[in-house]
Amino acid sequence: MKGHRDLKLACLAAVLCALVAALVPWEIVRLVAALPLTLFLPGYAIVAAAFGSRELVLPKRIVLSVATSLMTLVLGAFVLNVFPFGLRTASWAVLLPLVVVGAARGAALRRDPAARGARRRTAIPRPGAASLALVAVAVLIAAAALVLAQKPLPAKNAVGYSALWMLPTDSREDAVAVGVISNEHDYTSYRLEVNVGNSRSKTYRVHLYPGEEQVYEVDVPPRASGRTHVVATLYRKGRPEHVYRRVNSWLPRQTTFP
Amino acid sequence: MVQARLESLPVIALLAAIGLFLCSLANALARATLAPTELIYWLGLLIIALPIFFRLSSTKPSYRERFALVLLLGLALYGVKLVHDSIFFTFSDEFVHAFNAHNIAQYHHLYHFNPAIPTTPYYPGLEGATSSLMMLTGMSSYGAGIFVVGAARLTFMAALFFLFARLSGSARGAGLGVAIYAGTSNFLFWGVQFSYESLSLPLLVVVLMAFAEREEAPPAYRSAWAVPIVLGILAITITHHLSSYALAAIFVALAVLYRVMKVERPNPWPFALLSVGAALGWLLIAARSTTGYLFPVLEEAIKAIAKTASGESAPRTLFHQASTTAEVVASTPLAARAVALLAVAALAALIFLGLRVLRRRDERREPLVILLCVGALAFFAALTLRFAPAAWETGNRAGGYFFLGVAFVGIYGAAEFLRRGPNLLRRRVLLTGALGIVLVGGAISGWPWDIQLARPLQATADGNEVDSESLAVAEWARERLDGSRFAAPEATARTLLAPGGQVAFGGQGPDIEDIVDEPQLESWQLPLLEQHNLPYVVADRRLISEDTLRGMYFTVKDQYGSALREPGVVHKFSRIPAGRIWEGGHISVFNLEDRP
Repeated sequence: MKGHRDLKLACLAAVLCALVAALVPWEIVRLVAALPLTLFLPGYAIVAAAFGSRELVLPKRIVLSVATSLMTLVLGAFVLNVFPFGLRTASWAVLLPLVVVGAARGAALRRDPAARGARRRTAIPRPGAASLALVAVAVLIAAAALVLAQKPLPAKNAVGYSALWMLPTDSREDAVAVGVISNEHDYTSYRLEVNVGNSRSKTYRVHLYPGEEQVYEVDVPPRASGRTHVVATLYRKGRPEHVYRRVNSWLPRQTTFP
Repeated sequence: MVQARLESLPVIALLAAIGLFLCSLANALARATLAPTELIYWLGLLIIALPIFFRLSSTKPSYRERFALVLLLGLALYGVKLVHDSIFFTFSDEFVHAFNAHNIAQYHHLYHFNPAIPTTPYYPGLEGATSSLMMLTGMSSYGAGIFVVGAARLTFMAALFFLFARLSGSARGAGLGVAIYAGTSNFLFWGVQFSYESLSLPLLVVVLMAFAEREEAPPAYRSAWAVPIVLGILAITITHHLSSYALAAIFVALAVLYRVMKVERPNPWPFALLSVGAALGWLLIAARSTTGYLFPVLEEAIKAIAKTASGESAPRTLFHQASTTAEVVASTPLAARAVALLAVAALAALIFLGLRVLRRRDERREPLVILLCVGALAFFAALTLRFAPAAWETGNRAGGYFFLGVAFVGIYGAAEFLRRGPNLLRRRVLLTGALGIVLVGGAISGWPWDIQLARPLQATADGNEVDSESLAVAEWARERLDGSRFAAPEATARTLLAPGGQVAFGGQGPDIEDIVDEPQLESWQLPLLEQHNLPYVVADRRLISEDTLRGMYFTVKDQYGSALREPGVVHKFSRIPAGRIWEGGHISVFNLEDRP
């Protein structure tokens, strides 16, 4: 690829981006590396291979590069699926640089030797300071719009609620986990009663802020025969006699339908 | 001088950002259940679009500025979708495709079963592409998906601009054509949801653009342009069924037209052969279930047309909600209906003018131009499908393809309208207004009025995040149950798919809808659940629970989500008896294998 600076840069960038995306633990850094690797470089190299020395105006070259990259991802997934290892971080991190290097090699061979180093540089207009400032403000406002959309807001008219759930803690089913989740608007107090079989009963005082969850583990002693009925009942502090939520389970569970 | 500055690209970009912020603000107020006036949202949309439309109608911008303007339009309007529902995918098809992407990332292979739309795993183009970003970045399907769909949207805008510029020979016309296309009913929301057509339609336009460029290019360039065409045909084939059939139909029609019209350039029959062969081959080898998914819909549509035409059944009321199970929702206001109808009238006027101009132009001898003109007329024919109850969705979906023709012919209508004269500025203002009406009218007819603005899926209370009941069940299932099998009302079934990651059946195939909606336990219901191995059943008192567009949000007092089904929909499972393992007020989860 001697003399083809753009192709050499594309290959180097592809390998570097693949290494960063595959090995670096920080999501934002991986994103910065993965975006050009997935959405630009494969298409750029394929378009370069297809067009060889022929001129293609910059906007069209960029758009075709992105479009062909999308096509490469679609077809690349299909190809990777054929192999036993399938679609993994490593397989993508190998396939995409391979596509870029292979296509860039093809492009270097197809380009006219006389055109080496003689590729026309596209003049990109330089905006003035005022224009740059306006665009920067626009970007900031757009970013603020996206941040506002990402932020959950207080919704006083949304009807709050609490949920109660119960599941065996593991496959042995000798204990249950009983959880209380508050999706109320305010700090809420409850009384939780858990009855195991006919004899044992446990009571818990539960206090939750909105969005909090409290989980309790309750042992279920093994029975010689039959199943143990476990019932968890939740009462709200203000209405101690009124059953607010109730869940139940028979352990050990059956493996057949009724 | 002042006008030139106001029309400069940085100022227009700033206005677009302000418009986007207004849209975000309106959605934020709606999520905060403050019932804001929708005028803020529509104003935001117009502040984004009108300055761009006005500038595109001018003779002054360069080719590159017009190109930048259409990209800005695409990006800003894509932003409107993003600010509608950030954090999670919330459109009904998005849950389905997010589940597929999640499965690819989890199991490292394609084609995993999807209970909601079993055909979708066999068209894995979008999810396969998204999985690359998911794996290389560690992002969720939401994070990766918005980048892939965003790239597709920008590619779409640019390719459409190049296509129109090549066919019309005018960059000004091309910019206006793209502006007209933004008025198609699926443009604002449906066309940028995380769903296969959001990738396949942009790729289809890229293929058409490459074909148009190839036709004009010197012979030495033709093989170069064939590369994106061939790659595009193959990628579309494994991305979306309807798009691959549409592309095959376009190439077959072009091959026939080239032959009939004795066009001197090479006949595109190899592309026709490839696209037909690829679509058929994929259908027969990999995606056989498509016939069972697609053809009954088309059959129903044809029957509905026949019944409506013969007077056997009453025509559908326009702007009417299709769902019979949803609670009563706010109907589209009269003024909004008027804008939507005005948009159709404006389009009809543009097409009438455009076709008249095209009759006198050399372009009329171009086979692709002829196809686009046919598409423009077919769009208006497809509008009549909106009157047939079971056919309106088919018409709406087909409209996205036919609208390519509307936008192209509209270029000539707009050019005729803008022809130089003493009142050019007034004509530009009028055209900008008409394009604004087309954009807003398209948005109104493409998405239900009551959910144009967001609803709360998550909220904050005391500084912490609280989830809606559907979302809370899904999050709980994701943390506590490992890919379990559920029967649920459709809205909760969708959230159980993604972000819940569970295999959740809903709807009518199998008939889960009746099992979870009827207050009595019928004799066939438990055997059906056993037959499909669905031990977990979600019972939901809310009438809105079958509504995949509205059923996953918080109930909001005096606004929505408070109408209830009979208590029997929950009690019938308690009476089996079966273990009730979750109770959240409206939603209960039962485990049928948990019993005495």
